[in-house]
Amino acid sequence: MNLSRPDRSLRLDALAAQYALGTLSAPARRRLAAIAKTDPAVGAALRDWELRLGALADAVPPIVPAPRVWEGIRRRLGLGVGGAESNRSTPWWASVSLWRGLALAGFALAFALGVALLSPVAERPEERIVVVLAGQDAKPVLLVSADRGGRYLTVKAVAPLSVPAQRALELWALPEGKDPLSLGLLSASGTARIPLASSAGVVLQGTPALAVSLEPPGGSPTGKPTGPVLYTGGVQYL
Amino acid sequence: MALLQSGDRNATLADLVARTALADQRAFAELYRRTSSHLHAVALRILREPTAAEEVLQESFVSVWHHAGSYDAARSQPQTWLTSIVRNRCLDRLRRRDLDTVTLTRDDEEETEIDLPADGPTAVELLIAGAEARSVRACIETLEGGQRQAIALAFFQGLTHAELAQQLREPLGTVKSWVRRGLERLKQCLERAGLVR
Repeated sequence: MNLSRPDRSLRLDALAAQYALGTLSAPARRRLAAIAKTDPAVGAALRDWELRLGALADAVPPIVPAPRVWEGIRRRLGLGVGGAESNRSTPWWASVSLWRGLALAGFALAFALGVALLSPVAERPEERIVVVLAGQDAKPVLLVSADRGGRYLTVKAVAPLSVPAQRALELWALPEGKDPLSLGLLSASGTARIPLASSAGVVLQGTPALAVSLEPPGGSPTGKPTGPVLYTGGVQYL
Repeated sequence: MALLQSGDRNATLADLVARTALADQRAFAELYRRTSSHLHAVALRILREPTAAEEVLQESFVSVWHHAGSYDAARSQPQTWLTSIVRNRCLDRLRRRDLDTVTLTRDDEEETEIDLPADGPTAVELLIAGAEARSVRACIETLEGGQRQAIALAFFQGLTHAELAQQLREPLGTVKSWVRRGLERLKQCLERAGLVR
């Protein structure tokens, strides 16, 4: 990596690009980072490429980190208690009427649909998680299912959806007594296969219900639901 | 309307970064609340290990607290700046891990890795959607298929040239030149579009 040759700026730009993209080997990466500390031109080239490429990462579906991450940051910096969880008024997911809406009828539906659609695993019923999400008219629209030990949720539409342009559907877990947890974005047709950080049984533990809200493209900018709730449904173990 | 919202969001985030630079703890907490889910997802995609992704997220925000003053709103949007901090740390860690684990077999690692499902959004789809979000989709479309594929996989999954060659079943030299030429093209287009400088 000779950066003192006449074609320096071209070579530097190419190296900086590889650095930002991430394809350089560990030693090359370290060397370039070390040079960047003392050579402003190199530092600027790296930063430019990081920003250029960083702008293209916006569409990655958000995954809410565990509360321990913020706790760790707070501890390491010696900051005061609170902060990330503070100043909330009563949000919709804490309201009682939502829970009333998740009636027993949901169980019957879940069971019927679950058996019909998931028959290959119906022989081991206790290992299957099924959620039927319905709108206010109680008509089932989406079916979320997972193996209890599985690392992903499958979402299928059982009725046509109409998602406004420039809007996205975001699926949320509504854990009891806690803030909603973003599970991921659905396609406009309602289908999705959502990877989970641990098994479905663990992720949905203490979570009696799921909901889908309407959000800006790319999902809620705040990590909490910001748009109207379109569908809700109780979590059933079959 | 979407544009207006994204403008508002950037202004809010820039304000939060500026206040963080003045050691405003509430602003810092709010910045975390608004951006951590996205940054966490970016880190998870590259590292594929929940624990490692959480550590990088922590390190990144600790660094943001200390270096928020170096953020230059004229040069980049706040989310881009934050993403670049997180990606950079992910890549450092990933490349270090490559060195540390050369003796590990694939099986040893598998237990702690998360699965990215085959029919979830692919790297190329994320790249296109990301460009769409910044109104620079045309820049991705100027790339040839192989260039797009190689850059997307390297970018979102942290693959090296050798790993790209393996995954795309192409000679190393071909993959290297896809990446190099694709990046050149991307740069020209992004600069024309005024996305970064």
